[in-house]
Amino acid sequence: MRSDNDIILSTDHLVKTYRGATSPAVDGVTLSVGKGSIFGLLGPNGAGKTTTISILCTLLQPSAGKATLLGHDVVRDAAAVRGKIGLVPQDIALYGSLTARENLYYFARMLRVPKSLIESRINESLQLVELTECADQRVSTFSGGMKRRCNLAVAILHHPEILFLDEPTVGIDTQSRNLILERLTELKQQGMTLVYTTHYMEEAQQICDDVVIIDGGRVIASGEPRQLVAEAGGCDNLEELFLVLTGKQLRDRTE
Amino acid sequence: MLLLANIKKELLLLSRDRVSLLVLFVMPMVLVLILSLIQDDLFRATGGAATTALFVNLDEGELGHEFEKSLQDNGALELVKSLSGKEIDSAAARKSVFNGEYQFAIIVPAGFSATINQSAEDAVRGALRDEKVIPRSSRITVIFDPAVRGVYRSAVLNALQLGVVGLELSRKGAVFEKLLPEELQRNIEAQMGSYAPTDLADQLPRISFDWTNQSLISLDEELASPKKYATLPTSVQQNVPAWTLFGMFFIVIPLAGTLIRERQEGTLTRLMTMPVSNGSLLLGKVSAHLLICLIQFGLMIMVGRFILPLFGTPVLELGSDPLALLLVAVSAALAACGFGILVGVVARSYDQAAIFGSVSIVIAGALGGVMVPVYVMPRFMQKISVLSPLGWGLDAFLDIFVRDGRISSVLPQVAALWTFFLVCLAVALIVFRRWRQGY
Ligand SMILES: Nc1ncnc2c1ncn2[C@@H]1O[C@H](COP(=O)(O)OP(=O)(O)O)[C@@H](O)[C@H]1O
Ligand SMILES: [Mg+2]
Repeated sequence: MRSDNDIILSTDHLVKTYRGATSPAVDGVTLSVGKGSIFGLLGPNGAGKTTTISILCTLLQPSAGKATLLGHDVVRDAAAVRGKIGLVPQDIALYGSLTARENLYYFARMLRVPKSLIESRINESLQLVELTECADQRVSTFSGGMKRRCNLAVAILHHPEILFLDEPTVGIDTQSRNLILERLTELKQQGMTLVYTTHYMEEAQQICDDVVIIDGGRVIASGEPRQLVAEAGGCDNLEELFLVLTGKQLRDRTE
Repeated sequence: MLLLANIKKELLLLSRDRVSLLVLFVMPMVLVLILSLIQDDLFRATGGAATTALFVNLDEGELGHEFEKSLQDNGALELVKSLSGKEIDSAAARKSVFNGEYQFAIIVPAGFSATINQSAEDAVRGALRDEKVIPRSSRITVIFDPAVRGVYRSAVLNALQLGVVGLELSRKGAVFEKLLPEELQRNIEAQMGSYAPTDLADQLPRISFDWTNQSLISLDEELASPKKYATLPTSVQQNVPAWTLFGMFFIVIPLAGTLIRERQEGTLTRLMTMPVSNGSLLLGKVSAHLLICLIQFGLMIMVGRFILPLFGTPVLELGSDPLALLLVAVSAALAACGFGILVGVVARSYDQAAIFGSVSIVIAGALGGVMVPVYVMPRFMQKISVLSPLGWGLDAFLDIFVRDGRISSVLPQVAALWTFFLVCLAVALIVFRRWRQGY
């Protein structure tokens, strides 16, 4: 088992109730993430995955509970947290009228990458997501898969200690998706910690060291994927387990 | 400095948004061209320059000429007596006004001198003999283009009235000078019969009536706020700064637009997870757009100096303090950008920002005297116009252009513009900080 020294991120009964909402979007989530692992935050639509990630990335104030990241409280020490994390948002967050390189350059500056390193970091990022060829094209001309890859490239420019990825493979072609998954494993091998949300269970089983499954803002299962499947009995894979746990009814977005 | 990187990005984004730039630069130029040219004539009329009018003199005597001369001396009217080389008659004058080629025609009727001389004599004799007479009067006809506005019309009528009164007075004076001795002689003879001296008229002191033309009282126009409207601007001096400010404030839409787009497209969320301060994000936007405003300003000044004169307007006179001019331009641009960033923070969608932004600019423009100069507004509207930041800017520009204003004299407006900017920015920063803290 991990020692406490290996825990890079932990939350304690995290609660978030949006203003005007009747029930909390995140309802007492407690989890801990080991250094250098890929941690999967799984759940159907509306489970509270994005909300949880937003709190961890200093974008949202929790209504209750606390979260500590690299020894910093995400609320009180938000500024200290910001330089150390990377976020791949659920939606493409790039300037469409700028080229990939211009986007990367600007965000590298905002991430305070030292000027002498910017050039090499941009090339490294571009290489990692295999966009070097199209680096000087405007992002608006990119395909969905290319945009997703570029979205990822921005978040690793500063070699963050923890990289948050909110559904980084949603709605793209198989090639781009496989490439992204492959690269995430590579990043892990370089020592980066990844916190990753998805509702593709197959994907999670493939790359995650640990997962929590949340539904309705609550943690309904947590552990290593293989172990979870084994313990449940009668399930062959994470997908089946997931359906057993969360039910088969549709989860259409209403927001 | 992250601020510089932010400015660079904003400029890059702007440079990729050709349509917005085109609107920002071309719209005020087109507006200023159209409005300066439309209003050129109006400003000449109200600004003290002479108005041209057709003058038809059907009189055979000397009084028609005398009237003409007094109008010309008075300086309010410039008289045109022939059209394309031909002396005009009253029918041609009427037609020309009807067609809108001239706005006024003044027609002195035939027999004008004879009638006036006769009437003056009747009136003076009646007065000397203490009899009641109603002298015949003569008419001078003034034909107006119906499109001529009331103020303008009464200005011309006043000038004519002045000429008529002067003429009457000098006529009556001359007749009095002639009749007084005759009447005295007649009276004395009637009372003293043959004892009366025959050369009485020669012994009377000579009376000259030259004084009828000498004015003893002159009207010295002075307005309650002495400096303010002492000199009126030319149409170019009014319209160039007015529409420049209007165009500059339209920066609100692209500026609010970039902020809203960043909110909607998630780049702002992304930035908020990065170690960059709120100030350098917002000030980056403000600075880049400020630069655009100043380029707009420079272009508009060029239009006023070099392009408008090609169409026959006066050259834009910039006053004598370029530093004050720059200070006002920067302050107005800041106010515009501050408002833009505020709208960008408060509006919920681009459409909302565009509609709210443009409507509020049009209203503030109207109040501030962009469309209709403040000095021709009704008094209570003049009071309300003090509320418009465009009004502050315009007032300061006019002060520099027309009233030889200096930095010290435009300081109140500059301070108001800065205050407006700082308040807008402060509110935007407060709202922005709350977002960032994730409430
Ligand atoms: N800004 C918001 N305001 C109010 N409710 C929200 C907001 N964002 C998300 N929610 C609600 O909170 C719940 C969790 O949403 P989210 O965290 O986005 O789920 P997930 O990312 O797992 O799909 C949903 O019911 C959603 O409707
Ligand atoms: Mg989500």
